[in-house]
Amino acid sequence: MTERRAARLGLAVALVVVLAQLGVAAGWSLTHDDPTFLGLTRRCFEREKRLPVEATSGDPVAASASGGTLRVIVDGALVTIAIASSEREAARLERFYAADDPGERLDVLGRYVSLWLRSPSAAQRQQLHDCAY
Amino acid sequence: MRTERPAPAYRLAVGGVLAGFAALVAWNAWSFDWLRGYDAVANEHYATVVATEHRLPSVAESSVWHTPPLWFALVGWLRRLASAAGWESVHRPGQLVAALAGVCVCIVILLLARELWPDRRVVHVVALVVAATSPALVRASAMYHPETLSTALGAGGMLAAVRGLRRGPTLANGLVAGALLGLASLTRAWALPVLLVVAVAYLLDGSRSGRRAPALALALVAGVLVVPWLAHQQASYGSPLVFNRDAPDEPLFHRRPKSFYLGPRALRVFEHPVTPVFRNELVPQLYADWWGDWALTWDAPLPPPPAGLLPSHVVAERARQAFVGFVPTVVALAGLLALCFLAAARRSLALGLIPASSLAVLAAFLVFTIRYPSTDGDTIKATYLLLALPGTALGAGLVLDRLRSQSRLGLWAVALALAVLAAVQAPFLVL
Repeated sequence: MTERRAARLGLAVALVVVLAQLGVAAGWSLTHDDPTFLGLTRRCFEREKRLPVEATSGDPVAASASGGTLRVIVDGALVTIAIASSEREAARLERFYAADDPGERLDVLGRYVSLWLRSPSAAQRQQLHDCAY
Repeated sequence: MRTERPAPAYRLAVGGVLAGFAALVAWNAWSFDWLRGYDAVANEHYATVVATEHRLPSVAESSVWHTPPLWFALVGWLRRLASAAGWESVHRPGQLVAALAGVCVCIVILLLARELWPDRRVVHVVALVVAATSPALVRASAMYHPETLSTALGAGGMLAAVRGLRRGPTLANGLVAGALLGLASLTRAWALPVLLVVAVAYLLDGSRSGRRAPALALALVAGVLVVPWLAHQQASYGSPLVFNRDAPDEPLFHRRPKSFYLGPRALRVFEHPVTPVFRNELVPQLYADWWGDWALTWDAPLPPPPAGLLPSHVVAERARQAFVGFVPTVVALAGLLALCFLAAARRSLALGLIPASSLAVLAAFLVFTIRYPSTDGDTIKATYLLLALPGTALGAGLVLDRLRSQSRLGLWAVALALAVLAAVQAPFLVL
């Protein structure tokens, strides 16, 4: 066997191995969805906290969040949650909300930028943080 | 043997890569926070116990008690010297040992290429550049950790063995190979598979040629160095290859889920190649860790808590590394296979020893990581496979040299590809 032939054979087998791995991954990603942060948060509020969750409406800042948005009523207090995908995006969402000077109603925890309708209590805030992933 | 004087371009390329790599790892070892390396605190406790109390640490004193003691004895002694000299950074000598060992790994890979293909300068340079631009080697060369020392000693043992098998083993040659591989195994257990492969190669050569003394010398020296340690582990903990946790009490292939073997989230290595994504999926985690820094120990903030976000550039830089590594990975894998085919066709023990060592290390790693599953993925680390680097780097050199156009243009294309490989990775590799 010449070196060139060994190299070609090695390359062919290596490509088959690599393409097989990529094929498995492509097949899996087409047929499965990993839960999103929005999905995990919604499930936590609904199943673990038993809190009413609804779609966000009339909030262009939250609507622009790439990770999605939802509204939840935490012990009588309405909060709109916007989920960012990067630090830069979280800062952008925070900046837009902060323009209206919301004070304590604005709550930023990593990727979660939340605007409460009224200033929340510590317990209400904790409930929200419990469902942050 | 080649007697002609190497071309200036070749000397410049080899010298430049080695000098550049030495500067890189020295700078990184100087800059890297020793506490961010793998098992840093446990390594420190182990080294302190060995250096000050001249004994092995107990299970309670260091979580790496199962690791052989050579590196700890060395850095413990250096630590005492540094301390006596009033040096505040007492861990720095240990990191510089890792850096020096990293440089030795590159030199040995170059010497292996020159030994196997004396006149093939493209193979030499490609193998050297592939090794020197391997992020796993660069990262390990900055850590307060024994991995690169074991790799350097093990690769040195491979070089001595290849020389012996090509030129006819001698007693001295068997002694040197046995000593280096014994010391490597006394540094990290990952060298044991290489020692086994080399011993088998020497035995086969002995049975072919009737020269059994080199094989005996190799086995004797390596045995004198390693057996006391293995016997101690057997006597103290019930197994010569004991690990710091018990293996689950279930059949080997039931210990990992299917996703471990199939790597279903492998495509995410090009998008978000950091923890916790594809945790405990063997191929993607290993790939992301070799070319990047899956566990976020290298020039990155600590893994964020729930809801926390990583700075965008941290993920983007590692995703870029994943793209950069794709073609070299295919070429290196192809090269390893090509070496296997070639060695089998030529029935060459010297040539076969290289891929066989890589495959033996890979097999040992596979058994280890299946045997000891962990929820945080800490038994899947690219640095565990550094002893497979000689085989993959040499194989990549062979494949690129054989499949390139043999014209001057082909040579320039290879040179350009290597330059791009180094330049694109520089922002990640330089701390």
